[in-house]
Amino acid sequence: METAEPSGVWEDAEWAAALTALLTTRIGGVHLRAPPGPVREYWLTRLQILSGQSRLRKIPANVPESRLLGGIDLAATLAQGKPIAERGLLTECDDHIVIAAMAERMPRNTIHHLCSALDEGLIKMARDGIEAASAARLTLIAADEGTEEETLHPALTDRLGISLDLERCSIHDVGDEQFSPQHINSAAQALKRVHLNSAQRETLVGVSLSLGIPSPRPTLAALEVARGCAALSGRESVAEEDLARAVRLSLLPLAQRLPEAVASQPEPPAEPESDSNSPDEQTPPKERDAPDQEHLLNAAFAQLPDGLLQQLQARASRNRQRSIGKSGAQQKHLLRGRPTGVFKGDYRRGGRINILATLRAAAPWQPLRRRERPDSQRALDIRRDDIHLTRFQQRRDTLTLFVVDASGSAALQRLAEAKGAVELLLADCYVRRDQVALIAFREDRAELLLPPTRSLVRAKKALAALPGGGATPMAAALDLTREIAQRVDKGGTTVHYVLLTDGAANIARDGSRGREFGTNDALAAAKVLAASGVAGLVIDTAQRPQPRARDLADALKCPYIALPKADAQALNQTIRAASA
Amino acid sequence: MSVAYPFTAIVGQEDMKRALTIAAVDPGVGGVLVLGERGTGKSTTIRALAALLPKIDVVKGCLYQCDPHVPRPGLCALCGKRTETPPTAAQTIPVVDLPLGATEDRVVGALDIERALVSGEKAFQPGLLAQANRGFLYVDEVNLLEDHIVDALLDVAASGENVVEREGLSIRHPARFVLVGSGNPEEGELRPQLQDRFGLSVDVRTPTDIATRVEIIRLREAFDQDREGFKKKWARKESALRRKIQHARESLDSVDTPAMLLETAARLCLALGTDGLRGELTLVRAARALAALEGQTSATLGHLRAVATSVLRHRLRRDPLDESNADTRVERVIAEIFEGGDS
Repeated sequence: METAEPSGVWEDAEWAAALTALLTTRIGGVHLRAPPGPVREYWLTRLQILSGQSRLRKIPANVPESRLLGGIDLAATLAQGKPIAERGLLTECDDHIVIAAMAERMPRNTIHHLCSALDEGLIKMARDGIEAASAARLTLIAADEGTEEETLHPALTDRLGISLDLERCSIHDVGDEQFSPQHINSAAQALKRVHLNSAQRETLVGVSLSLGIPSPRPTLAALEVARGCAALSGRESVAEEDLARAVRLSLLPLAQRLPEAVASQPEPPAEPESDSNSPDEQTPPKERDAPDQEHLLNAAFAQLPDGLLQQLQARASRNRQRSIGKSGAQQKHLLRGRPTGVFKGDYRRGGRINILATLRAAAPWQPLRRRERPDSQRALDIRRDDIHLTRFQQRRDTLTLFVVDASGSAALQRLAEAKGAVELLLADCYVRRDQVALIAFREDRAELLLPPTRSLVRAKKALAALPGGGATPMAAALDLTREIAQRVDKGGTTVHYVLLTDGAANIARDGSRGREFGTNDALAAAKVLAASGVAGLVIDTAQRPQPRARDLADALKCPYIALPKADAQALNQTIRAASA
Repeated sequence: MSVAYPFTAIVGQEDMKRALTIAAVDPGVGGVLVLGERGTGKSTTIRALAALLPKIDVVKGCLYQCDPHVPRPGLCALCGKRTETPPTAAQTIPVVDLPLGATEDRVVGALDIERALVSGEKAFQPGLLAQANRGFLYVDEVNLLEDHIVDALLDVAASGENVVEREGLSIRHPARFVLVGSGNPEEGELRPQLQDRFGLSVDVRTPTDIATRVEIIRLREAFDQDREGFKKKWARKESALRRKIQHARESLDSVDTPAMLLETAARLCLALGTDGLRGELTLVRAARALAALEGQTSATLGHLRAVATSVLRHRLRRDPLDESNADTRVERVIAEIFEGGDS
């Protein structure tokens, strides 16, 4: 058993590659969190060698639906004079290990198709006059380069049985090759015979419950992984270390909470493992009775390299806060400009030719045209008159960004009123089908509590869970607002923000305290935000409105309204005027 | 085709299973909406339903599965003209998947290009709505469906007829189907108009007690290891339920509806302030279907109570922010009315 810490990182990675090559579709695939670079490349090469596939296929994040699912094959259709289907990328990838690059950026529709391929092993489509179901048994490696803001869509995370984090793994950590393709082959033979008893199953279910994982899929994957580990180690029944590895690879990364017992001791001493360190009495006595959950969790944690536990804790709290990644919001702007029909037009003026409509227009004339030109060799006679273009309707989505001051100065009962005001506005957003997002700021930082979403239920939940108290980092809040507004705007969504505050800034950009610095920085940040051209509205939540918030509104060049006067109607009118 | 997980082997989720079997007994209840988080078995359960549906008689060769035993209205143009009795065939009730990303021409149908190109004939190629006639249309992630597809669905679901006016075609054909939708409410709201189309709606959650979860995992594992064997093991339970549904479909017309039941349904709807009469109608139909399923000759208040939450939950005058309270409101009113009715 390896004892050096850095190689621990790689050891799990090597195991993950071997397990994926062994279990393929049984676990769905791997959520691979790693920046592009030599480590990721090396891991993928290991996986390719172990799986015995000649190359790993790749699905780019921006693949259009028509290519992903297949559709009409233009060249073949024109050549043969009848519709010929083109195989989609997913069908071509049947029985392959597939890498989805930049998976955190995939539009929601792509995610959905990947999920149904993982669930059913086949893909159904109904497009371009063709309807088909074809096999698509993929093993998906979702390469996630996301930062905190961008995470893989949970629908996909849920279906990928192994989660591997190589973010902190440098090329120097890469360890020895532990497995060979022969290992995988013999393990594949042995896999059927591996026994896992019901107490062990119960333990894994218990662990997933205590980690707060609601879906049963990760638990199923963990069971497969535990069996795979045993098979790879040449055992016929699952041992405790197999379970521990399964917990580490399949369950811990999805944890919504960490059990108190383990979370309270940041670096658990290796004592639960100490007896198994002596190689002689390793397995036999423990095999029959499964370890209890706490013991198993401790064993799983003991093998974690330094620092990873803190990272896990951070992620667990993040998992809890954001149950949905950003990709859901990202695809929304791809829907904008929905096709609203086709029209006859000249393709030379630009525009997208609608093949199907063009063919349909040409079809009835074919016998006539053939008679007209009997010597023509063309299977299809298409004339300029037949050309049809797709018409798109550009409808820009709107995002209302709520920036809520949750500091102590915006005293607690005012916070409740501010929440009330936001709820009023939310109802209005619902009517207009706008997206909403929520930024809260207090203590030393501003935080995006709710990424852009249309789900009001989530907005409401995020709002209700908002704690109050502490200092007012106004400048940080305005900077974050600008950052998000600009990012969303690039995607083609119109943004306006609603800032609810009493204007009493007292934390400067560099984190130092003091009213004067805080206010100066806030005004400076406000000017930059105003210059970026984002429209907004300031709602003063102070008990007795003071000039501070009004000054801020002036610097932001946006309307100002004091909450005491802000009833539902006034709020709505003002925000509408501001967003017009 | 992969083997589907058996319906009867699904652990828990009684609300969802009841709603789906009711829709299988009486398609007139108007569809089922299943909302819930990931990993609650929404899709699995709905796909499993297909195996339980009994066979129906159809006109042989009819593209729209017309019923040979009913008189004209509601038949397709071809079957409507027929004067002699048509040849019939037995066919399993279709369950048609409407995949996300389907294009409009495949959903409503369009000109058959192949025939147009080869023989210059103007023929209609029926779409998914035609295939789903007299059966089920299942939309996974219904809340992510594109707006123009939803528009097409709404219109057809309301009228039971698909009218196609495009590419020089002018076709109308029957499209009566049970709309079944599933989705995760956290990913976006359902359009209210679409939500109104569903007769029953259920909210599914993952069970949190360890025994149930172990059972789920155990069965799913067994299924994944040997799908055919697992299917065989559950075959008896499956066919028992299939017979029950078949029998309920046949006896549905003879189930009595006591006047007191109608009155209670009306009182429920009044107390909750639901719009229109659809709530009452669906309440009564669902209660009758449940009675038929249980092999009883008369629907009772117990049946009504069992279906009430599913029927009414999504029909409240909506405050969009009050999502969480809809259920408690419905349950409180149900409790009041039924307790009052008992005494």
